Amino acid sequence: MTQYRRIDTRNSAKGRDVPGRWIGGVRRGTRAFADFATRRGSTLVALGILGSLLVIVAIGPLVSPYDPDALSVLDRLQAPNRTHLFGTDNFGRDVLSRTLSGTRITLLIGLSISAFSMIVGLPLGVICGYYDRVGLVVMRGIDTMMAFPAIILALALMTILGKPGIINVILAVGIVWTPRMVRVVYSATLSIRENTFIEAAKALGVSSRRILLRHVAINLLSPVIVQATFTFAFSIMEVAALNFLGVGIPPNVASWGGMMNEGRMYLTRASWIILFPGLFLALSVLSFNLIGDAVRDRLDPKLREVM
Amino acid sequence: MFSFLVRRVVGMLVSVVLVISVTFLLMQLIPGDPASVLLGSNATPEQIEELKVTWGLDQSMFTQFLKYIGNFMRGDLGRSLFYQEPVLRMLGARAETSILLGLGSLLVVVVIGIPGGILAALRPSGWVDNLFLVVALAGASIPSFWLGLMLMNVFAGKLGWLPSSGFTSILETGDLGNLRNLILPAFSLGFVNAALVARTARSSMLDVMQADYITTARAKGLRERVVTIKHGLRNASIPIITVVSFTFAALVSGAVVTENVFALPGIGSLIVQSVLKRDYPVIQGIMMVVAVLYVFVNFATDLTYAFVDPRIRYR
Repeated sequence: MTQYRRIDTRNSAKGRDVPGRWIGGVRRGTRAFADFATRRGSTLVALGILGSLLVIVAIGPLVSPYDPDALSVLDRLQAPNRTHLFGTDNFGRDVLSRTLSGTRITLLIGLSISAFSMIVGLPLGVICGYYDRVGLVVMRGIDTMMAFPAIILALALMTILGKPGIINVILAVGIVWTPRMVRVVYSATLSIRENTFIEAAKALGVSSRRILLRHVAINLLSPVIVQATFTFAFSIMEVAALNFLGVGIPPNVASWGGMMNEGRMYLTRASWIILFPGLFLALSVLSFNLIGDAVRDRLDPKLREVM
Repeated sequence: MFSFLVRRVVGMLVSVVLVISVTFLLMQLIPGDPASVLLGSNATPEQIEELKVTWGLDQSMFTQFLKYIGNFMRGDLGRSLFYQEPVLRMLGARAETSILLGLGSLLVVVVIGIPGGILAALRPSGWVDNLFLVVALAGASIPSFWLGLMLMNVFAGKLGWLPSSGFTSILETGDLGNLRNLILPAFSLGFVNAALVARTARSSMLDVMQADYITTARAKGLRERVVTIKHGLRNASIPIITVVSFTFAALVSGAVVTENVFALPGIGSLIVQSVLKRDYPVIQGIMMVVAVLYVFVNFATDLTYAFVDPRIRYR
């Protein structure tokens, strides 16, 4: 069986289909990554933000100056100062510690939602794209799901799922964003299956299951990765909105949206309670948007038109 | 043109029926039955049974569904469990705020987004373009409710230029000054969506301005403004219209949170209250009305394509 590897075409003559070097091995992978990261300044910035967020996720509890849930009535509503870099909230809790703790929750939820949309969306999209009859019926349903604005569908799903909670938020927002993943996979599958290598595989008598797994799915990698990155960006914004509205994860867990909700009453007196979690949210969304753009342009510039 | 219209109308009706069905099915998934939710834990089984009969909940799901569609066609969206009011009347009372907020933010989207994108595209990589790209990226990443809170803090709190929250009906009071209450919400909601429109407008204009007919138009000696607007913008408008119509859904989503931030008595704040109270007929009604509106917006977008680009009518 032929090994499918991505071909590096950077050095190939422009406009001609000359195979370049094979990318493989750790060193070449590192070089390819370095090249990707430094090609645009914005990508480097985005990777920097993402890296910092990941560091916070990894060692956050170790460097967090206070217990994010420790109440201290005497220190309530302090403006940012040396002991509390981001200030304190109405219960005297340290805003920096809570923001760091919120980073973990946010990235965890975002990752789960992206994974959910891939696990459900990829097989569904491939099957719909490959089998016309299934596609005809299922895609109608998918389009109907997309007729509901994201937050409204998420709110309705939270009602159906019952209690506020992390798992329910992941499910609700995951279900909202999966149809978009299905759409992307579906339209990519439609164009992949027109290729001659699919025809060749069919002529050789390869089973449909094998064609889907070995020939179609492998070529879907780029659009799926790109869509998953955007899903991440959109979903953490939406989860923050749900938490802000008080229907997401319970208020006793420090989340960026929840912090902003609690800080509303003190907006003019203590705007830092809202400023910092919002800034972290915006920076996270920004980094995922930039990385999504960069990955899309790198893996497949043609995708710019469809995504 | 006629067959184009017929096809689109049929497609639209199918979508409307599908939207109603999905909403109905989703609401069937809510655990527990509404009769016992409304009557509370003290109700006797007889009382619950009686209420179920009055609401027709004892009938089969299919019968309920048909009845539901029938009621919908007559404009009956059911009654709120908590206010005992017809859902349609509740929506009607709150429509003014939401419509004004929606139009206001759409105005911001169009007025900032389209000219911004065009200006950036005229001199690619110039300082306008670079500044624009930064602002557009920031706009696309900032949560609208956070922007709203920050603007509220500065313009209503610190400077005191604009009211911070609330809205009283203009239809009832006749006071156009109430529109001041919508400036901050409309801007915070519109700005984040303008970013998307601006990016599309920019890339679409960039594509078009390289076409041969633009060179021809310039060679004919047409003024640059005529070339840009008549030859450039018109041909670049299909992707722009598409993305403006997409912002409908984004604006509705954003409005749910923005109305909440600025304490506006609109449909967005109603759905949040209803979710917190588990007032499911209201949730169902709002979902349906919004989704049907979305289908109409798509339909209108299709018609606009045909108007802007005559070739589309014959496909």
